[in-house]
Amino acid sequence: MSIMTTKLGKLTLDSPITVASGTFDLENFHFIDQKCLGAFVCKTITRYPKKGNPTPRLYESEAGLINSIGLQNPGLDLFVQESLPILRDKLEVPLIVSFSGSSIAEFEEIMAKLETQSGIAGYELNVSCPNVDNEGIAFGVDPEVIYQLCSRLCSMTRREVIVKLTPNVTDITSIALAAEAGGADSIALINTVFGMAIDWKTGRSRIKKGIGGYSGIGIKPIALALTYKAANAVKIPITAMGGIYTWEDALEFFWAGASMVALGTANFIDPLSAAKLHEGLSAFLIEHRYSMRDIIGKCIL
Amino acid sequence: MKDTPELRSIAIYSREELCGGYFVLWIWDDELSKQCSPGQFFEIRAQASFHDAWDSQRIPKLFKPISVYDNSGGRIGFFIKNVGAGTSALARLKAGDMLELIGPLGNSFPVVSGKRVLLLSGGIGYPPLSYLQKEIINHNLIFWLHGGATQADVFPCDEVWTVDGSIGKQGMVTQGLEDVIINKKIEVLYSCGPLPMLKQASEIAFRHGVEHYTSMEAYMACGIGVCHGCAVPIGSHDNWDYLRVCKEGPVFNANDVLWSEL
Repeated sequence: MSIMTTKLGKLTLDSPITVASGTFDLENFHFIDQKCLGAFVCKTITRYPKKGNPTPRLYESEAGLINSIGLQNPGLDLFVQESLPILRDKLEVPLIVSFSGSSIAEFEEIMAKLETQSGIAGYELNVSCPNVDNEGIAFGVDPEVIYQLCSRLCSMTRREVIVKLTPNVTDITSIALAAEAGGADSIALINTVFGMAIDWKTGRSRIKKGIGGYSGIGIKPIALALTYKAANAVKIPITAMGGIYTWEDALEFFWAGASMVALGTANFIDPLSAAKLHEGLSAFLIEHRYSMRDIIGKCIL
Repeated sequence: MKDTPELRSIAIYSREELCGGYFVLWIWDDELSKQCSPGQFFEIRAQASFHDAWDSQRIPKLFKPISVYDNSGGRIGFFIKNVGAGTSALARLKAGDMLELIGPLGNSFPVVSGKRVLLLSGGIGYPPLSYLQKEIINHNLIFWLHGGATQADVFPCDEVWTVDGSIGKQGMVTQGLEDVIINKKIEVLYSCGPLPMLKQASEIAFRHGVEHYTSMEAYMACGIGVCHGCAVPIGSHDNWDYLRVCKEGPVFNANDVLWSEL
Protein backbone atom coordinates (compact mmCIF):
# COMPACT_ATOMS: atom_id res chain seq x y z
CA MET A 1 0.00 0.00 0.00
CA SER A 2 1.48 3.34 -1.00
CA ILE A 3 0.99 6.63 0.78
CA MET A 4 -1.26 7.69 -2.09
CA THR A 5 -3.72 4.85 -1.50
CA THR A 6 -7.26 6.00 -0.86
CA LYS A 7 -10.52 4.26 -0.10
CA LEU A 8 -13.61 5.13 -2.04
CA GLY A 9 -16.53 3.07 -0.79
CA LYS A 10 -15.96 -0.49 -2.01
CA LEU A 11 -12.82 0.47 -3.88
CA THR A 12 -9.27 0.79 -2.66
CA LEU A 13 -7.37 2.86 -5.20
CA ASP A 14 -3.67 3.42 -5.74
CA SER A 15 -4.06 7.13 -6.33
CA PRO A 16 -6.55 9.68 -4.99
CA ILE A 17 -6.64 11.36 -8.39
CA THR A 18 -9.22 10.76 -11.07
CA VAL A 19 -10.79 12.68 -13.94
CA ALA A 20 -14.14 14.36 -14.46
CA SER A 21 -16.40 12.61 -16.92
CA GLY A 22 -16.22 14.07 -20.42
CA THR A 23 -12.91 15.84 -19.99
CA PHE A 24 -10.52 12.94 -20.43
CA ASP A 25 -10.24 9.96 -22.72
CA LEU A 26 -7.65 7.40 -23.78
CA GLU A 27 -6.05 10.07 -26.00
CA ASN A 28 -4.89 11.81 -22.83
CA PHE A 29 -2.62 8.88 -22.01
CA HIS A 30 -0.37 10.13 -24.81
CA PHE A 31 0.61 12.80 -22.31
CA ILE A 32 0.57 11.10 -18.92
CA ASP A 33 1.13 7.72 -17.32
CA GLN A 34 -2.07 5.83 -16.48
CA LYS A 35 -0.76 5.09 -13.01
CA CYS A 36 -1.25 8.74 -12.01
CA LEU A 37 -4.95 7.97 -11.84
CA GLY A 38 -6.69 5.88 -9.23
CA ALA A 39 -9.58 5.34 -11.60
CA PHE A 40 -10.72 6.35 -15.08
CA VAL A 41 -14.19 7.85 -15.53
CA CYS A 42 -15.55 7.66 -19.07
CA LYS A 43 -17.78 10.20 -20.79
CA THR A 44 -21.41 9.86 -19.70
CA ILE A 45 -23.45 7.49 -21.82
CA THR A 46 -27.22 7.38 -22.24
CA ARG A 47 -29.59 4.61 -23.31
CA TYR A 48 -29.86 5.94 -26.86
CA PRO A 49 -27.34 7.90 -28.92
CA LYS A 50 -27.40 11.65 -28.30
CA LYS A 51 -26.41 14.15 -30.96
CA GLY A 52 -25.62 16.79 -28.38
CA ASN A 53 -26.44 20.47 -28.31
CA PRO A 54 -26.32 22.97 -31.17
CA THR A 55 -23.13 25.00 -31.57
CA PRO A 56 -21.37 27.10 -30.31
CA ARG A 57 -20.93 24.84 -27.33
CA LEU A 58 -17.93 26.40 -25.63
CA TYR A 59 -16.78 29.74 -24.33
CA GLU A 60 -13.75 30.51 -22.21
CA SER A 61 -14.66 33.18 -19.70
CA GLU A 62 -12.46 35.20 -17.36
CA ALA A 63 -11.68 32.34 -15.00
CA GLY A 64 -13.02 29.18 -16.48
CA LEU A 65 -14.92 27.50 -19.23
CA ILE A 66 -18.61 27.44 -20.12
CA ASN A 67 -19.72 24.35 -21.97
CA SER A 68 -22.94 23.12 -23.46
CA ILE A 69 -22.04 19.78 -25.03
CA GLY A 70 -25.35 18.16 -24.14
CA LEU A 71 -24.06 14.65 -23.38
CA GLN A 72 -23.21 13.83 -26.99
CA ASN A 73 -22.52 10.09 -26.95
CA PRO A 74 -23.01 6.98 -29.09
CA GLY A 75 -25.55 5.40 -26.74
CA LEU A 76 -25.41 2.29 -24.56
CA ASP A 77 -25.36 -0.35 -27.32
CA LEU A 78 -22.49 1.14 -29.30
CA PHE A 79 -20.64 1.86 -26.08
CA VAL A 80 -20.85 -1.78 -25.06
CA GLN A 81 -20.02 -3.04 -28.55
CA GLU A 82 -17.20 -0.69 -29.46
CA SER A 83 -15.87 1.56 -26.68
CA LEU A 84 -15.99 -0.84 -23.75
CA PRO A 85 -13.77 -3.56 -25.33
CA ILE A 86 -11.16 -0.90 -26.14
CA LEU A 87 -11.31 0.56 -22.63
CA ARG A 88 -11.06 -2.94 -21.15
CA ASP A 89 -8.05 -3.65 -23.32
CA LYS A 90 -6.16 -0.39 -22.83
CA LEU A 91 -6.92 0.59 -19.25
CA GLU A 92 -4.52 -0.36 -16.49
CA VAL A 93 -6.62 1.39 -13.86
CA PRO A 94 -10.20 0.69 -12.70
CA LEU A 95 -12.94 1.86 -15.04
CA ILE A 96 -15.92 3.82 -13.73
CA VAL A 97 -18.72 4.01 -16.29
CA SER A 98 -20.68 7.25 -16.10
CA PHE A 99 -24.26 7.11 -17.28
CA SER A 100 -27.47 9.08 -17.24
CA GLY A 101 -31.12 8.41 -17.98
CA SER A 102 -34.40 10.19 -18.43
CA SER A 103 -36.28 7.97 -15.95
CA ILE A 104 -35.39 5.61 -13.13
CA ALA A 105 -36.44 2.72 -15.39
CA GLU A 106 -33.94 3.89 -18.02
CA PHE A 107 -31.15 4.07 -15.43
CA GLU A 108 -32.08 0.49 -14.45
CA GLU A 109 -32.06 -0.68 -18.05
CA ILE A 110 -28.58 0.74 -18.61
CA MET A 111 -27.19 -0.73 -15.42
CA ALA A 112 -28.72 -4.13 -16.15
CA LYS A 113 -26.86 -4.27 -19.45
CA LEU A 114 -23.59 -3.00 -17.94
CA GLU A 115 -23.89 -5.64 -15.20
CA THR A 116 -23.50 -8.30 -17.88
CA GLN A 117 -20.16 -6.78 -18.93
CA SER A 118 -16.79 -7.41 -17.37
CA GLY A 119 -14.04 -4.89 -16.74
CA ILE A 120 -16.15 -2.31 -14.91
CA ALA A 121 -15.21 -1.35 -11.35
CA GLY A 122 -18.08 0.99 -10.69
CA TYR A 123 -20.71 3.36 -11.94
CA GLU A 124 -21.12 7.09 -11.78
CA LEU A 125 -24.79 8.06 -11.87
CA ASN A 126 -24.80 11.41 -13.61
CA VAL A 127 -27.86 13.13 -12.17
CA SER A 128 -26.42 16.58 -12.58
CA CYS A 129 -25.69 17.52 -16.18
CA PRO A 130 -26.93 21.11 -16.57
CA ASN A 131 -27.06 20.90 -20.35
CA VAL A 132 -29.82 18.39 -21.03
CA ASP A 133 -33.48 18.86 -20.29
CA ASN A 134 -34.75 15.41 -19.43
CA GLU A 135 -31.72 13.55 -18.20
CA GLY A 136 -29.38 14.57 -15.48
CA ILE A 137 -30.26 17.64 -13.58
CA ALA A 138 -33.99 16.97 -13.54
CA PHE A 139 -33.06 14.15 -11.14
CA GLY A 140 -30.31 15.78 -9.17
CA VAL A 141 -32.41 18.46 -7.51
CA ASP A 142 -34.96 16.27 -5.73
CA PRO A 143 -33.84 14.27 -2.66
CA GLU A 144 -36.79 11.90 -2.89
CA VAL A 145 -35.98 11.00 -6.51
CA ILE A 146 -32.29 10.55 -5.66
CA TYR A 147 -33.25 8.23 -2.82
CA GLN A 148 -35.50 6.15 -5.08
CA LEU A 149 -32.89 6.01 -7.83
CA CYS A 150 -30.08 4.94 -5.51
CA SER A 151 -32.06 2.31 -3.67
CA ARG A 152 -33.26 0.74 -6.91
CA LEU A 153 -29.84 0.78 -8.60
CA CYS A 154 -27.66 -0.16 -5.64
CA SER A 155 -29.64 -3.36 -5.11
CA MET A 156 -28.80 -4.40 -8.68
CA THR A 157 -25.03 -4.41 -8.34
CA ARG A 158 -22.09 -5.31 -6.15
CA ARG A 159 -19.95 -2.72 -7.89
CA GLU A 160 -19.20 0.77 -6.59
CA VAL A 161 -22.06 3.22 -7.12
CA ILE A 162 -21.09 6.88 -7.17
CA VAL A 163 -23.72 9.60 -7.42
CA LYS A 164 -22.56 12.81 -9.06
CA LEU A 165 -24.26 15.85 -7.60
CA THR A 166 -25.04 19.27 -8.97
CA PRO A 167 -24.20 22.51 -7.15
CA ASN A 168 -27.31 24.08 -8.65
CA VAL A 169 -29.53 23.30 -5.66
CA THR A 170 -30.53 25.16 -2.52
CA ASP A 171 -29.17 22.55 -0.12
CA ILE A 172 -26.64 19.99 -1.29
CA THR A 173 -26.63 18.17 2.05
CA SER A 174 -30.21 16.98 1.63
CA ILE A 175 -29.29 15.49 -1.76
CA ALA A 176 -26.10 13.92 -0.40
CA LEU A 177 -28.00 12.43 2.54
CA ALA A 178 -30.63 11.04 0.18
CA ALA A 179 -27.91 9.34 -1.90
CA GLU A 180 -26.37 7.88 1.23
CA ALA A 181 -29.71 6.66 2.56
CA GLY A 182 -30.44 5.09 -0.82
CA GLY A 183 -27.26 3.03 -0.53
CA ALA A 184 -24.77 4.93 -2.69
CA ASP A 185 -21.19 3.91 -1.94
CA SER A 186 -19.83 7.39 -2.51
CA ILE A 187 -20.71 10.75 -3.99
CA ALA A 188 -18.94 12.98 -6.48
CA LEU A 189 -19.31 16.73 -6.53
CA ILE A 190 -19.58 19.22 -8.06
CA ASN A 191 -20.83 19.07 -11.61
CA THR A 192 -20.73 22.43 -13.41
CA VAL A 193 -22.41 25.57 -12.13
CA PHE A 194 -24.99 27.26 -14.37
CA GLY A 195 -23.15 29.92 -16.32
CA MET A 196 -23.64 32.30 -19.20
CA ALA A 197 -21.69 34.75 -21.34
CA ILE A 198 -22.93 37.34 -23.82
CA ASP A 199 -21.08 39.28 -26.50
CA TRP A 200 -21.52 42.79 -25.07
CA LYS A 201 -21.30 44.37 -28.51
CA THR A 202 -23.92 42.36 -30.33
CA GLY A 203 -25.98 41.01 -27.45
CA ARG A 204 -25.61 37.49 -28.75
CA SER A 205 -25.16 34.66 -26.27
CA ARG A 206 -21.74 33.02 -26.57
CA ILE A 207 -23.42 29.63 -26.12
CA LYS A 208 -26.16 28.62 -28.53
CA LYS A 209 -28.45 27.34 -25.78
CA GLY A 210 -27.88 30.45 -23.67
CA ILE A 211 -27.03 28.90 -20.34
CA GLY A 212 -24.28 26.32 -20.04
CA GLY A 213 -22.19 24.70 -17.33
CA TYR A 214 -19.36 26.74 -15.84
CA SER A 215 -16.19 24.99 -14.71
CA GLY A 216 -12.57 25.77 -14.02
CA ILE A 217 -10.66 27.85 -11.54
CA GLY A 218 -13.50 30.30 -10.94
CA ILE A 219 -15.67 27.70 -9.24
CA LYS A 220 -13.04 26.35 -6.86
CA PRO A 221 -14.25 28.16 -3.71
CA ILE A 222 -17.82 27.05 -4.45
CA ALA A 223 -16.74 23.44 -4.93
CA LEU A 224 -14.62 23.54 -1.78
CA ALA A 225 -17.47 24.88 0.34
CA LEU A 226 -19.89 22.26 -1.00
CA THR A 227 -17.34 19.48 -0.45
CA TYR A 228 -16.91 20.64 3.15
CA LYS A 229 -20.66 20.84 3.67
CA ALA A 230 -21.35 17.43 2.17
CA ALA A 231 -18.44 15.80 4.01
CA ASN A 232 -19.86 17.01 7.29
CA ALA A 233 -23.29 15.64 6.43
CA VAL A 234 -22.56 12.13 5.16
CA LYS A 235 -20.31 9.24 6.14
CA ILE A 236 -19.75 7.90 2.63
CA PRO A 237 -16.61 9.13 0.85
CA ILE A 238 -16.53 12.02 -1.57
CA THR A 239 -14.78 12.56 -4.88
CA ALA A 240 -14.38 16.31 -5.17
CA MET A 241 -14.00 18.34 -8.31
CA GLY A 242 -14.44 21.92 -9.41
CA GLY A 243 -11.54 24.16 -10.35
CA ILE A 244 -8.77 21.87 -9.16
CA TYR A 245 -5.61 22.65 -11.13
CA THR A 246 -2.64 21.95 -8.86
CA TRP A 247 -1.63 19.62 -6.05
CA GLU A 248 -2.06 22.51 -3.63
CA ASP A 249 -5.66 22.88 -4.82
CA ALA A 250 -6.15 19.14 -4.33
CA LEU A 251 -4.86 19.30 -0.77
CA GLU A 252 -7.47 21.92 0.11
CA PHE A 253 -10.17 19.49 -0.99
CA PHE A 254 -8.67 16.62 0.99
CA TRP A 255 -8.55 18.76 4.13
CA ALA A 256 -12.18 19.70 3.43
CA GLY A 257 -13.19 16.04 3.45
CA ALA A 258 -12.68 14.61 -0.04
CA SER A 259 -11.22 11.11 -0.32
CA MET A 260 -10.45 11.61 -3.97
CA VAL A 261 -10.14 14.55 -6.34
CA ALA A 262 -10.97 14.78 -10.03
CA LEU A 263 -9.48 17.01 -12.69
CA GLY A 264 -11.78 18.37 -15.36
CA THR A 265 -11.08 21.66 -17.09
CA ALA A 266 -7.46 21.37 -15.94
CA ASN A 267 -6.98 18.53 -18.45
CA PHE A 268 -7.75 20.95 -21.26
CA ILE A 269 -5.47 23.68 -20.00
CA ASP A 270 -2.56 21.42 -19.17
CA PRO A 271 -2.65 17.84 -20.47
CA LEU A 272 0.05 17.03 -17.91
CA SER A 273 -1.96 18.29 -14.94
CA ALA A 274 -2.81 14.85 -13.52
CA ALA A 275 0.85 13.81 -13.62
CA LYS A 276 1.97 17.06 -12.00
CA LEU A 277 -0.70 16.71 -9.33
CA HIS A 278 0.42 13.16 -8.61
CA GLU A 279 4.05 14.17 -8.31
CA GLY A 280 3.40 17.24 -6.15
CA LEU A 281 0.99 15.48 -3.84
CA SER A 282 3.18 12.48 -3.22
CA ALA A 283 6.18 14.72 -2.54
CA PHE A 284 4.10 16.67 -0.01
CA LEU A 285 2.90 13.49 1.72
CA ILE A 286 6.42 12.10 1.93
CA GLU A 287 7.88 15.36 3.19
CA HIS A 288 5.28 15.67 5.95
CA ARG A 289 5.04 11.92 6.61
CA TYR A 290 1.31 12.01 6.03
CA SER A 291 -0.89 9.33 4.61
CA MET A 292 -4.17 10.27 2.96
CA ARG A 293 -5.97 9.22 6.14
CA ASP A 294 -4.20 11.90 8.13
CA ILE A 295 -5.52 14.65 5.91
CA ILE A 296 -8.98 13.74 4.71
CA GLY A 297 -11.56 15.81 6.55
CA LYS A 298 -9.06 17.25 9.03
CA CYS A 299 -9.64 20.89 8.12
CA ILE A 300 -9.10 23.24 11.06
CA LEU A 301 -11.51 26.12 11.53
CA MET B 1 0.74 11.96 -39.99
CA LYS B 2 1.35 10.84 -36.42
CA ASP B 3 -1.61 9.89 -34.27
CA THR B 4 0.06 10.56 -30.97
CA PRO B 5 0.60 14.29 -30.72
CA GLU B 6 2.93 15.41 -27.98
CA LEU B 7 3.00 18.48 -25.83
CA ARG B 8 6.14 20.50 -26.52
CA SER B 9 7.70 23.75 -25.50
CA ILE B 10 9.56 25.39 -28.33
CA ALA B 11 11.27 28.76 -28.43
CA ILE B 12 9.95 31.22 -30.99
CA TYR B 13 12.56 31.61 -33.70
CA SER B 14 11.25 34.87 -35.08
CA ARG B 15 8.21 37.06 -35.15
CA GLU B 16 6.94 38.92 -38.15
CA GLU B 17 4.67 41.94 -37.91
CA LEU B 18 1.91 42.34 -40.48
CA CYS B 19 -0.80 44.95 -40.81
CA GLY B 20 -3.96 45.31 -38.72
CA GLY B 21 -3.28 43.10 -35.69
CA TYR B 22 -1.94 40.20 -37.77
CA PHE B 23 1.43 38.67 -36.99
CA VAL B 24 3.38 35.49 -37.75
CA LEU B 25 5.23 33.38 -35.18
CA TRP B 26 7.93 31.14 -36.61
CA ILE B 27 9.35 28.06 -34.96
CA TRP B 28 12.08 25.74 -36.15
CA ASP B 29 11.58 22.02 -35.60
CA ASP B 30 12.55 19.42 -38.16
CA GLU B 31 10.57 16.60 -36.63
CA LEU B 32 7.30 18.53 -36.38
CA SER B 33 7.82 19.97 -39.82
CA LYS B 34 7.97 16.49 -41.32
CA GLN B 35 4.68 15.55 -39.64
CA CYS B 36 2.58 18.46 -40.95
CA SER B 37 0.26 18.49 -43.95
CA PRO B 38 -1.76 21.44 -45.32
CA GLY B 39 -4.98 21.97 -43.37
CA GLN B 40 -3.62 20.69 -40.08
CA PHE B 41 -3.38 22.84 -36.99
CA PHE B 42 -1.66 23.06 -33.64
CA GLU B 43 -3.07 23.90 -30.25
CA ILE B 44 -0.74 26.69 -29.18
CA ARG B 45 -0.32 28.94 -26.18
CA ALA B 46 2.11 31.31 -24.62
CA GLN B 47 3.87 29.16 -22.03
CA ALA B 48 1.92 29.33 -18.79
CA SER B 49 1.97 27.53 -15.49
CA PHE B 50 -0.93 26.71 -13.24
CA HIS B 51 1.04 28.46 -10.57
CA ASP B 52 0.58 31.66 -12.54
CA ALA B 53 -2.96 31.54 -11.21
CA TRP B 54 -1.53 31.80 -7.70
CA ASP B 55 0.31 34.90 -8.74
CA SER B 56 -2.21 37.74 -8.94
CA GLN B 57 -4.51 37.74 -11.94
CA ARG B 58 -2.63 35.49 -14.35
CA ILE B 59 -5.06 32.65 -14.84
CA PRO B 60 -3.84 30.11 -17.38
CA LYS B 61 -5.99 29.91 -20.48
CA LEU B 62 -6.88 27.22 -22.95
CA PHE B 63 -4.68 26.48 -25.93
CA LYS B 64 -5.83 28.13 -29.17
CA PRO B 65 -6.20 26.15 -32.38
CA ILE B 66 -4.01 27.82 -35.02
CA SER B 67 -3.55 26.31 -38.48
CA VAL B 68 -0.19 25.92 -40.13
CA TYR B 69 0.50 28.85 -42.47
CA ASP B 70 3.87 27.81 -43.79
CA ASN B 71 6.03 24.74 -43.45
CA SER B 72 9.25 24.53 -45.36
CA GLY B 73 12.65 23.12 -44.51
CA GLY B 74 11.91 22.70 -40.83
CA ARG B 75 10.42 26.14 -40.33
CA ILE B 76 6.75 26.31 -39.32
CA GLY B 77 4.78 29.56 -39.36
CA PHE B 78 1.63 30.46 -37.45
CA PHE B 79 -0.25 33.40 -38.96
CA ILE B 80 -2.37 34.83 -36.16
CA LYS B 81 -4.91 37.61 -35.72
CA ASN B 82 -5.13 39.26 -32.34
CA VAL B 83 -8.83 38.89 -31.55
CA GLY B 84 -9.25 37.95 -27.89
CA ALA B 85 -7.68 36.99 -24.58
CA GLY B 86 -5.89 33.88 -25.88
CA THR B 87 -4.50 35.43 -29.03
CA SER B 88 -3.47 38.65 -27.28
CA ALA B 89 -1.25 36.55 -25.00
CA LEU B 90 0.30 35.17 -28.20
CA ALA B 91 0.55 38.69 -29.57
CA ARG B 92 2.81 39.70 -26.69
CA LEU B 93 5.36 37.00 -27.54
CA LYS B 94 8.66 37.83 -29.14
CA ALA B 95 11.58 35.85 -30.52
CA GLY B 96 13.08 33.62 -27.83
CA ASP B 97 9.86 33.33 -25.80
CA MET B 98 8.51 29.86 -25.27
CA LEU B 99 5.49 28.54 -27.09
CA GLU B 100 3.64 25.48 -25.83
CA LEU B 101 2.12 23.40 -28.57
CA ILE B 102 0.28 20.17 -29.21
CA GLY B 103 0.15 18.84 -32.73
CA PRO B 104 -0.03 18.64 -35.64
CA LEU B 105 -3.71 17.88 -35.16
CA GLY B 106 -6.68 17.07 -37.37
CA ASN B 107 -6.93 15.88 -40.95
CA SER B 108 -5.62 17.69 -44.00
CA PHE B 109 -6.80 18.91 -47.40
CA PRO B 110 -7.06 16.18 -50.04
CA VAL B 111 -4.32 16.95 -52.55
CA VAL B 112 -5.30 17.05 -56.22
CA SER B 113 -3.19 17.30 -59.33
CA GLY B 114 -3.82 18.32 -62.91
CA LYS B 115 -6.86 20.38 -61.87
CA ARG B 116 -8.10 23.93 -62.21
CA VAL B 117 -8.18 24.93 -58.57
CA LEU B 118 -9.75 27.88 -56.81
CA LEU B 119 -8.68 28.96 -53.35
CA LEU B 120 -11.27 31.05 -51.52
CA SER B 121 -10.34 32.73 -48.26
CA GLY B 122 -11.91 35.31 -45.99
CA GLY B 123 -9.91 37.27 -43.41
CA ILE B 124 -7.98 34.95 -41.12
CA GLY B 125 -9.04 31.99 -43.30
CA TYR B 126 -6.00 32.84 -45.43
CA PRO B 127 -3.16 30.90 -43.68
CA PRO B 128 -4.10 27.23 -44.27
CA LEU B 129 -4.73 27.95 -47.95
CA SER B 130 -1.34 29.59 -48.24
CA TYR B 131 0.31 26.38 -47.02
CA LEU B 132 -1.88 24.34 -49.38
CA GLN B 133 -1.04 26.57 -52.34
CA LYS B 134 2.68 26.01 -51.88
CA GLU B 135 2.17 22.25 -51.78
CA ILE B 136 -0.03 21.93 -54.88
CA ILE B 137 1.09 24.81 -57.10
CA ASN B 138 3.43 22.73 -59.23
CA HIS B 139 0.73 20.28 -60.24
CA ASN B 140 -2.36 22.44 -60.69
CA LEU B 141 -3.60 25.70 -62.17
CA ILE B 142 -4.49 27.87 -59.20
CA PHE B 143 -6.54 31.03 -58.85
CA TRP B 144 -6.89 32.70 -55.45
CA LEU B 145 -9.84 34.80 -54.39
CA HIS B 146 -9.56 36.60 -51.05
CA GLY B 147 -11.92 38.87 -49.15
CA GLY B 148 -11.57 41.00 -46.05
CA ALA B 149 -13.38 43.70 -44.11
CA THR B 150 -10.86 46.40 -45.06
CA GLN B 151 -7.47 46.68 -46.74
CA ALA B 152 -5.86 45.62 -43.44
CA ASP B 153 -7.37 42.16 -43.89
CA VAL B 154 -5.96 41.54 -47.35
CA PHE B 155 -2.96 39.40 -48.26
CA PRO B 156 -1.25 38.38 -51.52
CA CYS B 157 -3.63 36.64 -53.93
CA ASP B 158 -5.11 36.95 -57.45
CA GLU B 159 -8.35 38.82 -56.80
CA VAL B 160 -9.29 40.93 -53.81
CA TRP B 161 -12.64 41.98 -52.38
CA THR B 162 -13.15 44.24 -49.38
CA VAL B 163 -16.41 45.01 -47.63
CA ASP B 164 -15.55 48.73 -47.40
CA GLY B 165 -14.01 48.90 -50.87
CA SER B 166 -10.71 50.24 -49.52
CA ILE B 167 -8.85 47.94 -51.92
CA GLY B 168 -9.93 45.66 -54.77
CA LYS B 169 -13.58 45.16 -55.61
CA GLN B 170 -16.18 46.32 -53.11
CA GLY B 171 -18.49 43.73 -51.57
CA MET B 172 -18.44 40.24 -50.17
CA VAL B 173 -15.90 37.95 -51.79
CA THR B 174 -18.62 35.42 -52.60
CA GLN B 175 -20.11 37.96 -55.05
CA GLY B 176 -17.15 37.27 -57.30
CA LEU B 177 -17.17 33.53 -56.86
CA GLU B 178 -19.63 32.46 -59.55
CA ASP B 179 -17.86 34.45 -62.29
CA VAL B 180 -14.49 33.01 -61.37
CA ILE B 181 -15.83 29.45 -61.30
CA ILE B 182 -17.32 29.89 -64.79
CA ASN B 183 -14.54 31.94 -66.41
CA LYS B 184 -11.66 29.92 -65.02
CA LYS B 185 -13.48 26.59 -65.51
CA ILE B 186 -12.81 25.70 -61.88
CA GLU B 187 -12.92 22.00 -60.98
CA VAL B 188 -11.86 22.04 -57.32
CA LEU B 189 -12.52 24.64 -54.64
CA TYR B 190 -10.73 24.91 -51.31
CA SER B 191 -12.17 27.38 -48.83
CA CYS B 192 -11.54 28.75 -45.36
CA GLY B 193 -13.09 31.76 -43.68
CA PRO B 194 -16.14 33.04 -41.80
CA LEU B 195 -19.20 30.82 -41.67
CA PRO B 196 -21.53 32.96 -43.86
CA MET B 197 -18.86 32.97 -46.57
CA LEU B 198 -18.41 29.20 -46.44
CA LYS B 199 -22.16 28.67 -46.46
CA GLN B 200 -22.66 30.77 -49.59
CA ALA B 201 -19.59 29.37 -51.32
CA SER B 202 -20.85 25.86 -50.76
CA GLU B 203 -24.21 26.67 -52.40
CA ILE B 204 -22.51 28.21 -55.42
CA ALA B 205 -19.92 25.45 -55.79
CA PHE B 206 -22.64 22.79 -55.45
CA ARG B 207 -24.70 24.46 -58.21
CA HIS B 208 -21.75 24.31 -60.56
CA GLY B 209 -20.71 20.78 -59.65
CA VAL B 210 -17.38 21.92 -58.25
CA GLU B 211 -15.61 19.59 -55.82
CA HIS B 212 -15.37 21.64 -52.61
CA TYR B 213 -13.26 21.11 -49.50
CA THR B 214 -13.66 23.52 -46.64
CA SER B 215 -11.64 24.02 -43.50
CA MET B 216 -13.95 24.77 -40.56
CA GLU B 217 -13.22 26.84 -37.53
CA ALA B 218 -14.63 26.18 -34.06
CA TYR B 219 -14.09 27.06 -30.44
CA MET B 220 -12.04 24.25 -28.89
CA ALA B 221 -11.20 23.12 -25.38
CA CYS B 222 -9.07 19.98 -25.76
CA GLY B 223 -8.06 19.82 -29.44
CA ILE B 224 -7.59 16.04 -29.26
CA GLY B 225 -11.12 14.74 -29.69
CA VAL B 226 -12.11 14.38 -26.07
CA CYS B 227 -14.49 17.21 -25.18
CA HIS B 228 -16.82 17.36 -28.22
CA GLY B 229 -16.93 21.14 -27.96
CA CYS B 230 -15.90 21.89 -31.53
CA ALA B 231 -18.73 20.02 -33.20
CA VAL B 232 -20.11 20.63 -36.70
CA PRO B 233 -23.15 18.89 -38.19
CA ILE B 234 -22.10 16.45 -40.92
CA GLY B 235 -24.30 14.16 -43.02
CA SER B 236 -27.62 14.35 -44.84
CA HIS B 237 -30.83 15.95 -43.57
CA ASP B 238 -32.26 12.70 -42.25
CA ASN B 239 -29.01 11.20 -41.07
CA TRP B 240 -26.42 13.45 -39.52
CA ASP B 241 -24.15 13.73 -36.51
CA TYR B 242 -21.98 16.29 -34.85
CA LEU B 243 -18.40 15.52 -35.85
CA ARG B 244 -15.36 17.13 -34.26
CA VAL B 245 -13.44 19.85 -36.07
CA CYS B 246 -10.32 18.78 -34.17
CA LYS B 247 -10.51 15.09 -35.02
CA GLU B 248 -12.64 14.32 -38.10
CA GLY B 249 -11.89 17.86 -39.38
CA PRO B 250 -10.93 20.62 -39.74
CA VAL B 251 -11.29 19.84 -43.46
CA PHE B 252 -14.67 18.54 -44.60
CA ASN B 253 -16.24 17.96 -47.97
CA ALA B 254 -18.53 21.01 -48.11
CA ASN B 255 -21.37 18.89 -49.50
CA ASP B 256 -21.38 16.85 -46.28
CA VAL B 257 -21.75 19.87 -44.00
CA LEU B 258 -25.33 20.50 -42.90
CA TRP B 259 -25.15 24.28 -43.29
CA SER B 260 -28.78 24.77 -42.21
CA GLU B 261 -27.93 23.51 -38.70
CA LEU B 262 -25.09 25.98 -38.27
